[in-house]
Amino acid sequence: MKRSVSNALSLTVVTGIVLGVSLLLIVMVGSSIPSSLSSFIRGIVGSTYSIGEVLVRATPLMLAALGVSVGFRTGFINIGAEGQIYLGAIAITWLGMTFPSLPPVLMISLSLLVGFLAGGLWSVIPGILKAKFGLSEIINTIMLNYIAINLVGILVRTSLKDPSYPYPMSPMLPPSSYFPMLLLPTRLHAGFLLALICAILVYLLMFRTSTGFCMRAVGLNKRASVCSGISVRSHMVLSALLSGGLAGLAGVSEIAGLHHRLIEGISPSYGYLAIVVSLLGKNHPFWIILSSLGIAALQVGSMAMQRSSGVPTSIASIIMGLLVIMILARKQFFGCKEV
Amino acid sequence: MAFLEMIDIDKAFFGKSANSKVNLHVDHGEIHALLGENGAGKTTLMNILYGIYQADSGSIVLDGVPIQIKSPKDAISHKIGMVHQHFTLVPTLTVSENITLGLKSPGYPFVKRKQVDEEIRSLSERYNLAVDPTALVSSLSVGQQQRVEIIKVLYREAQLLILDEPTAVLTPQEVESLFDILGRLRAEGHSVIIITHHIAEVLSLTDRITVLRGGEKVGDVKTRDTNEAELSQLMVGRKLNRMVRTRLPFTYESKGLVAEALQDAQGSVGPISLQVPPGRIVGIAGVDGNGQKAFAELLLGIRKIKEGSLTLDGKHLEHLGVKQRRALGFGYISDDRLLDSLVLDMDMQENLLLTRYRGQECNHHHFIDRKKLRELTEEAVEKYAIKSGSLEYPVRYLSGGNQQKLILARELAGNAKVVIACQPTRGLDVGSTEDVHKTLLELRRQGSSVILISSDLEEILDLSDSIAVMYRGAIVDVIEREGDVDLTYLGLLMAGSPARREA
Repeated sequence: MKRSVSNALSLTVVTGIVLGVSLLLIVMVGSSIPSSLSSFIRGIVGSTYSIGEVLVRATPLMLAALGVSVGFRTGFINIGAEGQIYLGAIAITWLGMTFPSLPPVLMISLSLLVGFLAGGLWSVIPGILKAKFGLSEIINTIMLNYIAINLVGILVRTSLKDPSYPYPMSPMLPPSSYFPMLLLPTRLHAGFLLALICAILVYLLMFRTSTGFCMRAVGLNKRASVCSGISVRSHMVLSALLSGGLAGLAGVSEIAGLHHRLIEGISPSYGYLAIVVSLLGKNHPFWIILSSLGIAALQVGSMAMQRSSGVPTSIASIIMGLLVIMILARKQFFGCKEV
Repeated sequence: MAFLEMIDIDKAFFGKSANSKVNLHVDHGEIHALLGENGAGKTTLMNILYGIYQADSGSIVLDGVPIQIKSPKDAISHKIGMVHQHFTLVPTLTVSENITLGLKSPGYPFVKRKQVDEEIRSLSERYNLAVDPTALVSSLSVGQQQRVEIIKVLYREAQLLILDEPTAVLTPQEVESLFDILGRLRAEGHSVIIITHHIAEVLSLTDRITVLRGGEKVGDVKTRDTNEAELSQLMVGRKLNRMVRTRLPFTYESKGLVAEALQDAQGSVGPISLQVPPGRIVGIAGVDGNGQKAFAELLLGIRKIKEGSLTLDGKHLEHLGVKQRRALGFGYISDDRLLDSLVLDMDMQENLLLTRYRGQECNHHHFIDRKKLRELTEEAVEKYAIKSGSLEYPVRYLSGGNQQKLILARELAGNAKVVIACQPTRGLDVGSTEDVHKTLLELRRQGSSVILISSDLEEILDLSDSIAVMYRGAIVDVIEREGDVDLTYLGLLMAGSPARREA
């Protein structure tokens, strides 16, 4: 009883503060509140296209956040989703350029596989370093982000470069690698379904199977896991693999569903946003579906607000930063006990 | 006139008395021992003297003047210094930096380090405390670190030094040199209180001994007027024996658990040889920190076996991990249930699952049968009378007794063949303690090999068929329970006196 009351109260306070700060910022940049808000909301649900945009943006966030959540649940703090997304993107680009004549079914399933493995590799390295030598995965995953991002920079200028263009990007991949479109004329592609399926799979794995149970136990109490005969190392490494693999799929989905070629900056910090999404979604796959949609809507809406009312999109980042701090703080201030 | 008097000190924690009407009397230039078992209230009393706790009632008189000690700072200003059992040194700083930590040294804020080093050097020569002021603390041995702690106290001009279990971490040679130092301190007119449970040390070193038991003072004797037997009687001395069990005839169908010359890789236990036949409880008595937990972990496989053999009914276990040993029927009740046994943020069902997720019952092709798990949990709640609002509630919110019952339910499920119970009743109230004891006796009746590790001697005496005493990582003797046990002998063994049978 008391718990739910304090939860509701704290949520109201958080919403109130976030709303207040947003309105204040809108006034400060000299825009009118009603028109800004209406363009914000129209930007999200104003048309089929805008709804499609929200879902398109939610897709990589959801996939990467699912990955982050699997890591977090096992006590593997994966800050490297950004780099793992890039690795997935490199993998599908390499596959499409090397074997352009594969039939679509094979091409798509193989690209999912190599993308998963590439992202997974990028996360298993710090995973093994942590499990075996106790090195901080936080530092290592961040460092691998830099390596991955700059690796893409090198590749799109060298071996994966499109020779017919002067720009640093890969050639268009063969259409056999494209995800089916779901809702023309919007840009919504099958990657969104992939993300939903992954959410269900992650749920089943983490909450219905014994392996997932062991991973959660390792995340919550390593010592008790050891005493119960659960191998901390192998579950840690497995969690790292899945965590990076899911982020890798986000990279695959961005290329196969949206860009169809590798360019620099293919992920505008999706990997870091995914951490926010996972946190807001309490590291639970179903809540992550919601929180990824929410963050995507916030971003898409703020872009619309910038177009029509001149409110800079940075407001979205400010709100997100504020949200995370408040949600973390609310546990302390209101004594909310969440698992 | 007495240097220090503590009069009628009372202290209770959460309604449980830790010191009741304790008196302590220390003279000038005296080495005074505070002797007692774990939990007798020795450290509590000294923490009151040092200002870490406040007494509920009672008074402290120093040189005939009643004083108030509200914090260690007050204690230091009254020239009382304490060396804690766990040292409080900063490893990355030098000896002299550690010693002057928190003080305004000459030249502050630009400390004249050389001058300070000189002072420390002369201090260490005076008391024969050889240590280099410029050395990094991280490079020192434990014995040297202890010297630094003592110098730290002397540098603050302490007249009365309190040493909490000073020999617990030292090698025999280091102990000898510590005793030299303490003798030198006495010669210089300092008074020393040492907290200890080692009777032999007390006799060789001190002038006067105060014995505590169960938070009360049970003896105050001059060292030269007493002997080992009397002291151990005072320290352990309890009535024998509310026998709660009926003796069973033993029919050994199998050997049970047999350890031979078992040793761990770290060298903290062993070599240990012990047999635990089915249907018997072997009690491991001993003062805390003599390797009991390491022994338990060695048996379960949490710690790796380096040498020796461990067999269950003839089957070798040395190279099996925790998982495989548990599959053979090992159950483990840890002394640290919050860390070792429970995942506090999971609910009761998942905590039960912790050792059972592989079993046929709840695991169908890697998927967990939630319905079955729920049934099993309800059964456990019923059988062990666990009181909890909801099966879905994190076990963090269960009381200690209910948490322990949950652990029992899990660890003893499926007829455990070997049960290692490490301090199974620590921190439990009387009712829960009784439940745990009944459960252990029931296991014994069912033919499990039970190893009961406890620093509560009464518990060991009540439940065990034979008693093995651990001291410094080894089993010094195994006493078969036939009739009454010679408590004095047991106390001597626990205190590390050379093993010899009287009577």
